[in-house]
Amino acid sequence: MSAYTPPVTGTGGRARVQRAGAFLAGMVMPNLGAFIAFGLITALFIDTGWVNYATGHVVDGKPVDTLTWTTQIATVVGPLINILVPILIGYTGGKNVYETRGAVVGAVATIGVMLAPVALQLTPISLNGEETTAPASIAEIGPAILGAFVVGPLAAWLLKKWDSVIAGKIRGGFEMLVDNFSAGIIGGILAIFGIYVVGPLTYWLTQGIGWLVNELVKIHLLPVVSILVEPAKVLFLNNAINHGVFTPIGSEQAGQAGQSILFMIESNPGPGLGILTAMLLFGPRAVRPTVPAAMVVHFLGGIHEIYFPYVLMKPILVIAAIAGGATGVLWESIFGLGLRAPASPGSIIAWLFVSPPNEILLIVIGVILSAAVSAVVGFLLLGFGRREKEEGSASDLEAARAQSAANKAASKNQPTASA
Amino acid sequence: MATLDGSSVKKLIVACDAGMGSSVMLASTLKKQLKGNDVIVEHSPVATIPQDADVVVTQASLADRARGVVPNVPVVPFNLFLGDPAVTRVVKAIQSGDSIEV
Repeated sequence: MSAYTPPVTGTGGRARVQRAGAFLAGMVMPNLGAFIAFGLITALFIDTGWVNYATGHVVDGKPVDTLTWTTQIATVVGPLINILVPILIGYTGGKNVYETRGAVVGAVATIGVMLAPVALQLTPISLNGEETTAPASIAEIGPAILGAFVVGPLAAWLLKKWDSVIAGKIRGGFEMLVDNFSAGIIGGILAIFGIYVVGPLTYWLTQGIGWLVNELVKIHLLPVVSILVEPAKVLFLNNAINHGVFTPIGSEQAGQAGQSILFMIESNPGPGLGILTAMLLFGPRAVRPTVPAAMVVHFLGGIHEIYFPYVLMKPILVIAAIAGGATGVLWESIFGLGLRAPASPGSIIAWLFVSPPNEILLIVIGVILSAAVSAVVGFLLLGFGRREKEEGSASDLEAARAQSAANKAASKNQPTASA
Repeated sequence: MATLDGSSVKKLIVACDAGMGSSVMLASTLKKQLKGNDVIVEHSPVATIPQDADVVVTQASLADRARGVVPNVPVVPFNLFLGDPAVTRVVKAIQSGDSIEV
């Protein structure tokens, strides 16, 4: 049925990666409300937050005579991110595999990985040269989100297998006894497995990636990740990257440093705004009228998906996205900027809410810079609309679509179905 | 290729990767457009599209996975989230009760 809907068939590599990413993102995204509650309370009430900042209790970025009631409210900050969030993620991971029964064993198993650093006295890698110590209690742990990714679904999957093996073999009247104890035993075993095996592995993985990111930031090489992130985004891997990778590692960093640059890499609404600006001015004429609404949905609503099709239509524009993204990350790493919590959706409004007050101006400038750079690169790549005039208008959209259909079919060695 | 009978559509699903962002947006647009018709419009993550859907609309990049989840339901891929002709065509077919090839 025409060029508008290219036939997409099979289960290509991209679909597989998307599915794996969606599996991880599917554990994080239902819990974004908890991240946002953490982000808002942090932004407002910690000793360098908005309330103390606005009332003159922050001098040169340092807290002075912090208001008592903000200190009281801020007691929930650590537990929200370090305790509640990993449990919720383990719970959701279990739930996605095996409903509420799986969710419960997922949460139980998650407690194990969370407490591995306390149980085994694991000492974190120092990022600033200061000596670090192993956490003495649950009050000092970091958010074990990667560990929750593993044991939550694993526990639920084991319980599901067990249930299917013994289904129909239980004597009448003993179902509840068996069900409750099988969940309790599997959850308990996985909690212990979490302490001794998964917990240490994911802990050192998180620490290692955190260290690597920190080193990259120090030598201002972090912008290189935009070369991977921006193309992956437009292939609809945005949630997989942001919530599968940056949210877990960033949360760990934010737990230590109070903010993380990792929350900014994927969620920066600047590059998309630049792409849309380029499309509005110099894109195929047939799609220009759709762009203004897309800009609002993207920049204010934070739904980045809306600009991906424009890049897929003119794939060369991915270079503009990379340039804009890398500009933002470079700016942020030069000035040591970061967000307090994941900005999700990636709207400028969400960004402002989780920006540290003393950095907000620089952060906004960074977003504007990335938008400007990707727009200008986009203008160049689109030849300032010159080719547009030569090729004629309305047919270009259809041509682009037909082309992308042909590409897809060719890449899968399948004939283009036509109708 | 499948035939979509606009008059028999009772449940239209808009699917996206997470089922939280773009699909919600498009579903609310389609709900408004199909107000007068007896059609349920829902949004869903592509991995959990309900089996009782009559038609699924989703971004072309996700159509692969949608077809894997509901092999017996017509899946209509679109490119643009706003004003895509493929989506407009489905809406028109439902409104008029016509059959279209999808």
